[in-house]
Amino acid sequence: MNLVVIAMIVALLIPVYEAWKNDHVWQKMLAFASISSKAAVMILVVSVLRDDWMIGIVGVIILSVGNAALMLLANVLKRMSDL
Amino acid sequence: MINILSYGCIVIGIVFWFWGTSYLLGKRSLLFKLHTLSVSDTLGSISIVFGLLLKIPREWPLLILGIICLAMWNTMLGYVLAYCSSTGGEDE
Repeated sequence: MNLVVIAMIVALLIPVYEAWKNDHVWQKMLAFASISSKAAVMILVVSVLRDDWMIGIVGVIILSVGNAALMLLANVLKRMSDL
Repeated sequence: MINILSYGCIVIGIVFWFWGTSYLLGKRSLLFKLHTLSVSDTLGSISIVFGLLLKIPREWPLLILGIICLAMWNTMLGYVLAYCSSTGGEDE
């Protein structure tokens, strides 16, 4: 199970690197959306690993409401570029 | 048996993650990256959470809620990002 978490951290590093390197705003949004869902699933895996469901609830809350902020931000960016 | 199945689901999910995220580093168009990333993130994460569900079945309401939220939100976010990025500028 530790190996699973290590592999997930390596997979998480790819969008982090992309968000750091790329200056294009939509590529950054894409990388951040990927980071958010990956981090939420990682929180769920860690909560199963530690058998601690307080952490698991945090992961599910991030999954259920976390992407809403990114959708609002995408709409704001679109409006800003339309102006 | 259940243990092998759950580890199999988790490993398939991580392979999906790596497959979809590896396209992020290339020089392809934004919509191509968005497609591979949303497919791999949604299906891979659902597979991982399903593996966890097989591992600890007593917490099924929380994990089922997680699977439903993943399926709904990630597809919707994919559509919104594609719509906003394709009409917001000249970056197709």
